[in-house]
Amino acid sequence: MFFRVIDKERLPDLIAGLSSEYEVVGPVEKDGRFVFAPISDPAQVRLDYDTTLLPPKKWFLPPKETIMRFCRADEEVVDDEVFAPPRVLFGLHPCDINALLLMDNVFLEGYVDPYYKARRENTLIVGMSCMPTETCFCNVWNTDEVHWGFDIFLTDLGDRYYASLRTVKGAEILDRHVANRAVSDEDTREFQRVVHRFKQGFNNNVDTTQLPVLLDAKFDSPIWDEIGDACLSCGACSMVCPTCYCFDVADRLEPDQKTGLRIRTWDSCQFKEFAAVAHGQNFREDRASRVKYRYYHKQWGYLSKFERVLCVGCGRCARACPAGISPVKVIEALQTGEVQ
Amino acid sequence: MAPRVVIVGLASDFGCQVQMTNIEDDLLDVLGLIDLQYWQLASSGHMPEEYDIAIVEGAVTTQEHVELLKRLRKTAAVVMTIGSCADTGGILALANCVDPDVAYAAVYGKGPEVARGRRAPGPVDAVIHVDYRVPGCPIDTDEFINVLSRALQGLADRTPVDPLCAICKTKENVCFLDRGEVCLGLVTRTGCGAKCPTLNRPCTGCRGLAPDANLEAARAAFVSKGLDPTELERRFDLYNAAREVTR
Repeated sequence: MFFRVIDKERLPDLIAGLSSEYEVVGPVEKDGRFVFAPISDPAQVRLDYDTTLLPPKKWFLPPKETIMRFCRADEEVVDDEVFAPPRVLFGLHPCDINALLLMDNVFLEGYVDPYYKARRENTLIVGMSCMPTETCFCNVWNTDEVHWGFDIFLTDLGDRYYASLRTVKGAEILDRHVANRAVSDEDTREFQRVVHRFKQGFNNNVDTTQLPVLLDAKFDSPIWDEIGDACLSCGACSMVCPTCYCFDVADRLEPDQKTGLRIRTWDSCQFKEFAAVAHGQNFREDRASRVKYRYYHKQWGYLSKFERVLCVGCGRCARACPAGISPVKVIEALQTGEVQ
Repeated sequence: MAPRVVIVGLASDFGCQVQMTNIEDDLLDVLGLIDLQYWQLASSGHMPEEYDIAIVEGAVTTQEHVELLKRLRKTAAVVMTIGSCADTGGILALANCVDPDVAYAAVYGKGPEVARGRRAPGPVDAVIHVDYRVPGCPIDTDEFINVLSRALQGLADRTPVDPLCAICKTKENVCFLDRGEVCLGLVTRTGCGAKCPTLNRPCTGCRGLAPDANLEAARAAFVSKGLDPTELERRFDLYNAAREVTR
């Protein structure tokens, strides 16, 4: 990795330059919140955004996607092309970049998902530093730092950006589209000051020491029933989660019943039918067991396989849950024996 | 041989039958799949004696409707309901919230005399078993085609059982509850694609109570958002006042 500095006022040059080669997706305002959407004008980009309604995963794993078309009569696939245009995701925070790395473990290792892979390969990532909000707890999982998984990462130093260049491609596009200069010792000192300020800004310092032990010890705790009673089983948490990757695949026929579509949609372990199988058996019939397994999967199951927890502390679930259930509250409830 | 279909309306504004004509581009394809023997909206003739699929719109509000439904069930191999009225009793079931004599007197003057055989408005499945359902006010044409297709293939009914919030999140709508507005999506059956919230209108519950809804938790959520929890059920009555009838 090496580093360059760009003046803040020159940043639109980079966005405009990228737009000439790629579809640029960045944070834009929507009804007082923010979404990642295609940019037509650099002025739309809101780099002061706190978080977005949906995480960037939608650009790799869309909420609903036709993965192939087939002909019913001869049972032939007629179209399974992957739509993966050259794209730049601009302004991702460290949590969201870390989340994509966790998704990669699932979609690029072992069984490779061609749809996810094609989009991942055709997408450049430009990261952006941030400041903690009320609901952020990336500090808890050390996902407040990101060292790979991006092409360029911009740290806001007030009047300039400290640009970390992780890939050759990132270095090339920066150089091509925006005036930049070498990093001075003072720039690096300021970079560290900014990062320290960032790290001191977190409210949530939940103790995750030996979390797998806590989870196993509390497997039969009535806490889960209490949380289950509060849960709406609406799946909002899974939808807004940058690391929830479960999907459902179903076939349907076109109105003429001659051509079929195979459609993949986001699914949620909080849905009642998620763990239902043939003969009417349902492994997660009640809400409490569904909430519990969401946490067991994220904080223990995935950890045992990939040595990381499947959470980056972005806080989207805490904001989206109508019942106010959040990882921080759940972990604290397990520790104290009381749901706050 | 294409299955013989009858489309029958009980008490409703025929909106869902009209909505079927809005299939437009695909209407001819859909009609090509079936042998449409009777369509109440479009026919002045009589219903045939034999048919395979009965599509029913409207709420059950009279004894006559009950007899008709029993006949349909006896004759048809498949009964499919379309629209809120047939699915939950719909708006008509609001009549259950007032004294029927007073209501009839207000509307018809003479009351009981014109209301022979009247019945507390309710859904079709309060009278007969329903195989497939397309909820909503009005129905979504795409869902209708899909459910009809499943019925024609003999596939199981897959009416969703979960609330609406998940799909609403995928549309990146800012939550109405967070804006201090009553929205019924957190207990309403999904499957509509969250059309209303996406058009900036809160969910009114037209698709009925999601079988897996957690009403108690929804009331608590209303309280935590500073909303009156009694509003949840009061507003939900708009399309679901007959819910005790089915339960």
